[in-house]
Amino acid sequence: MGTYILRRLIQTVGLLVLLSFLLFALVNLAPGGPLAGQGQNRHTDPEKVELLKRQLGLDKPLPTQYLIWLVGNDWMQIDKNGDGVLDSYGTRQGIFRGDFGFSFRTRQPVLTEIGQRLPNTIYLTTITMAFAVLIAIPIGILSAIRQYSAFDITVTTFSFAGQAIPEFWLGLIMILVFYAWLKNPFTGDPLLPSGGIAANLGRFDLWDRVAHLILPVLTGALGWIAWYSRFLRSSMLDVVHQDYIRTARAKGLPYGVVLYKHALRNALIPLITLLALDLPYIFGGAIFIEILFSWPGMARLYYQAALDRDYPILLAVLIIGAAFIILSNLIADIVYAYLDPRIRYE
Amino acid sequence: MNQSSLANEFKTPVLTAENTSMGAGVWKRFRKHPGAIFGFFVILTLAILTVLAPLSPYDPEASSISERYKAPSLTHIMGTDALGRDLFTRILYGGRISLTVGLLVVVISMAIGIPIGALAGYYGGWLDAILMRLTDSFLSLPSFLVLILLSAILREVEIPLFERNNVLTISLVIGVFGWTTFARLIRAAFLTIRETDFVSASRALGGSDLRIILGHILPNAIGPIIVEATLEFGYAIIEESGLSFLGFGIQPPTPSWGNLLSNAQEHFTKYPWLAVFPGLMIFFSIISINYIGDGLRDAFDPYKVLNKVGEV
Amino acid sequence: MLRSKNVSLVLLVVLITASLLGCQSNATSVPASDEKNITIVIAEDPPSFNPIIADTGYDALVMELVMLGLSDIDPDGNIFPELAAELPTAENGGVVYDEATGGMTVTWKMRQDVQWADGEPVTADDVIFTYDAIVNPETGGWIPGIDYIDRVEKVDDYTFTVYYTSVYPGYLTQFGREQVAIWPAHYCDASQGFAAWDCARQPLSDGPFVLKEWVNGDHMTFVRNENYFEDGKPALDTVTIRIVPDQSVRKTMLINGDADLDMWTTEAMIADLQNQPNVSVDPSPTNRWVMRIFFNLAEKGTTDAAATPHPILSDLKVRQAIRAAIDVDTISKEFFLGYAKPVWTEFFRPPYTCDISRPKFDIAAASALLDEAGWTDTDGDGVRECHGCATAEEGYKMEMEFITYSEFGEPLELTQQFIAEQLGKIGIQLNLTVVEGSVLWAAATDGGIEQNGNFDMDLWDDGYAGIDPTDFIYSYYSETSATPDMGYNFMRWINAQFEELLNGSYTLDEAQRQRNFCEMAQILDQELPQLLLFTVVNADAHSARLQNVRSTTNDLVTWNAADWTLK
Repeated sequence: MGTYILRRLIQTVGLLVLLSFLLFALVNLAPGGPLAGQGQNRHTDPEKVELLKRQLGLDKPLPTQYLIWLVGNDWMQIDKNGDGVLDSYGTRQGIFRGDFGFSFRTRQPVLTEIGQRLPNTIYLTTITMAFAVLIAIPIGILSAIRQYSAFDITVTTFSFAGQAIPEFWLGLIMILVFYAWLKNPFTGDPLLPSGGIAANLGRFDLWDRVAHLILPVLTGALGWIAWYSRFLRSSMLDVVHQDYIRTARAKGLPYGVVLYKHALRNALIPLITLLALDLPYIFGGAIFIEILFSWPGMARLYYQAALDRDYPILLAVLIIGAAFIILSNLIADIVYAYLDPRIRYE
Repeated sequence: MNQSSLANEFKTPVLTAENTSMGAGVWKRFRKHPGAIFGFFVILTLAILTVLAPLSPYDPEASSISERYKAPSLTHIMGTDALGRDLFTRILYGGRISLTVGLLVVVISMAIGIPIGALAGYYGGWLDAILMRLTDSFLSLPSFLVLILLSAILREVEIPLFERNNVLTISLVIGVFGWTTFARLIRAAFLTIRETDFVSASRALGGSDLRIILGHILPNAIGPIIVEATLEFGYAIIEESGLSFLGFGIQPPTPSWGNLLSNAQEHFTKYPWLAVFPGLMIFFSIISINYIGDGLRDAFDPYKVLNKVGEV
Repeated sequence: MLRSKNVSLVLLVVLITASLLGCQSNATSVPASDEKNITIVIAEDPPSFNPIIADTGYDALVMELVMLGLSDIDPDGNIFPELAAELPTAENGGVVYDEATGGMTVTWKMRQDVQWADGEPVTADDVIFTYDAIVNPETGGWIPGIDYIDRVEKVDDYTFTVYYTSVYPGYLTQFGREQVAIWPAHYCDASQGFAAWDCARQPLSDGPFVLKEWVNGDHMTFVRNENYFEDGKPALDTVTIRIVPDQSVRKTMLINGDADLDMWTTEAMIADLQNQPNVSVDPSPTNRWVMRIFFNLAEKGTTDAAATPHPILSDLKVRQAIRAAIDVDTISKEFFLGYAKPVWTEFFRPPYTCDISRPKFDIAAASALLDEAGWTDTDGDGVRECHGCATAEEGYKMEMEFITYSEFGEPLELTQQFIAEQLGKIGIQLNLTVVEGSVLWAAATDGGIEQNGNFDMDLWDDGYAGIDPTDFIYSYYSETSATPDMGYNFMRWINAQFEELLNGSYTLDEAQRQRNFCEMAQILDQELPQLLLFTVVNADAHSARLQNVRSTTNDLVTWNAADWTLK
């Protein structure tokens, strides 16, 4: 098992390097150029552009830039004032040492920008996923046990519907209903806020935080609830028809015990694996939610950076996102192997 | 405990068997699936409506200042938008784009994925390893985020085939991320069949590889591929809508369901129909497609009829 | 078991809903009753306090709260001194013109009573420091007029002289206005460089307020600067800036009294706020941003109008026809809710106003002009082709690309679509594109659309800050500016007479300037290299209790924050 993990980790690093090269090339081949985002000002004066290029290290050929991006340039001499003479050492450390460069827009280190936004995204997406799982599990179980009942059919239909509703549309409808139409009967204000983490971040007010969470979480969770409940239902049904369940019942074990100790445990295994595979959602998957509900998170940062052509941020988010996905696949495999002894021996 | 109460608790069904040819069997089972029939008719209706879109008396792109922001009425069954254009007409034209993009994406994904999967499964060895690493790379990227990046870059590019705002461009961009499942399906089909007895037997009898592929591998693979193609059609529509919603897909004034929703964002609290109807269209398309896919999945799986258990 | 699980879930939901309904509080901070606190709401965080670096508007907004320049401009266009003791002019000997070299020197005398918040005095050293930082080739920035400066020399602690290599009429606002502040020499780290120094995010204040706290994405808090040089000012104790990206929420906050000031209020919001008794919206007295159509007089993809003239737009009659076919009044009324003012000459702002008659909206005349010019539709497809036209081959289709930028928002996109339709009615087909401003205005080497001439017609807005149009006119209409990356003459328009008049306006003789400008206005009206349409409103909605707010096109609304009071 240990060598397996090690091998996978090495493959991961290799994969990431390959991806980083592809993404870097892609981003720099764009004709707007990496400085395209600087033209927000109508007046990009050429001197300013030249200056910017030197400051951001963009006057070097691409392979050199890639190298600097990877390992930094503080070990080599660069020409800082554009007079053709190498005069000082660079200041970049490269991504292997955690230096993802500086945002074109704010000149802040990319990791600082990401660090400011990531907690907000994690806050939102973990609550969304947790909520989704908490609702999906009972629904899935009930559905399986009462197969073909009215409850089951309703749930299955809603599952289908839930997976067909586009998130961005659902968000708009939620805002329409709960912010524009429904009013708080006591104060006459909109029933729920239409965006943001809190009305006042400085103070922690639980009800305010919850109120701001309701719409984004509901919107984001609906698709997951639909998907997980359906999955759990089918997984449960698969398990429930296995021979060992029948044996357990035949042995005389009570209904509840059979359900929880045997059926549910085994039905949950694929679900947990699925959850592990869906972990990357936590990082940047809630892009529509963050945009619609003005949530200052990672995905919204990425979207804004895409509009601004702020390539250092785009690159960093993509690389970190890819690393996350690869790692979560690995975790999913390990977890699955751990939970299901059968496949360990393959 | 007797058999019947067990059956009641877990509803174990009685086994039956059927005996028909594959194609006829598929169709027969498909017909029995109510959701799939419903979905089929909805999509058919939508497709017909979008084809008939030019028959509308309204021009989807001509503005009519006096008719701005009108609520749904007899003359405009879905209301009008910011420039006075009939929303229903625009939705139909948008449907043309969304459905076309969906189809193109499926074609492109299959065109990329099937050869890759086939090569990997057929030759195995180092080619398989390389192609699977390639597949892994694509799967490791946060695909929607990369789609945004690609669209942003392509909007500035003046490459001959890649015009801005082109349906083909968008389809290519989305299709480039949709092929991985097809590759895996075909490869799996190749792998499972390759080592089986009837392949060895066939070879022993002098059967060529081509025969094996056509006779054994393809029929086995075709079911999952068709199902996946259907679902991919649905994903493509949602991805195109999502991209257009963010402003990275189809650009106004050309309507697309996604950019209709995006345009609605500013004033939809005052003019809700602008947001409600385009989204409803997406919803009905996707749910229909999903039902069809579900029906197809059941139809292609002969064991389903025997078990009638667990519809994944 | 299961049933209890469900029941508890339901109970939880009921509890939460009930408490939300009951305990919904307006969770904004309630100030102490004797403290004068106002709240400004903006859509996003400023990237820093230094507008020269990113220039989003939000940076200038916050800079004006905490830092001072040498001079500033009021909404009516009058320049007034801030850090300067008096404005240098030729009359008081501050400005000396050197006949021999054609250059000039400007000597500034600074106030001696201004201090930084840490007690250090603001001196000429700070000015020299700022100048050196700006012109540093590695880490500096760029401001208008900086190229005309040869050097800046300190005379004594509160006096310094700027040596210009040629006459620069905008010298009075060289180190002031909305972009340039004077930075503290003893606090900012020169080695970090002007573009990236930390003091642009944690500034040392010499203005009316001091930055106390900045929670990124949420709010910024400023408190009164006790050391501020104007006695008794500012009247406010604290200024809170809240980041509220959603426009409708900002509007609600204004109406409810949770916000006192909104920046760059849009037309739609102004219309909605008109009838609110506790909100005032006062547009600035002059408007700066003129929405205009740029005609590429060179063929698309080229930059030399003489060598490769545009097959359609190089014909003056065509440009005149386009002008006659656009109904600016309808655009203003429908898409800008009446808040856009039609404009048809660059010289419409005092003190340099010229009398040019307004062009008429006349579709019949437009069609007639096109017929005259040899563009007719013989194949009945609704789009004209060249039959006997002067600038293109026989049969050339009158079809072009029409570009605008996305950041402005819906009114501009609707305007673009509307104009395309109107021109479609007279037989010109326009294919629409909306691009990000960053791509439109990028440098030529970075593929910028404008600089590379990759367009036929463009629609976007620009205008000059302050009262002096010379730099602006030069960058948009001079011959030098027609070269890619040397300016913004994207029309590639070259007119010798205009050039001469423009050069002649680089003088300190005001009467001469006025005469030159009005002759130039005539030429522009006749030649139509650009088609000016309307100005966009500039207003900052504020609560009725906040007094002395004066919106201005020459600066951000916080320019006179020291003068604000509460009723």
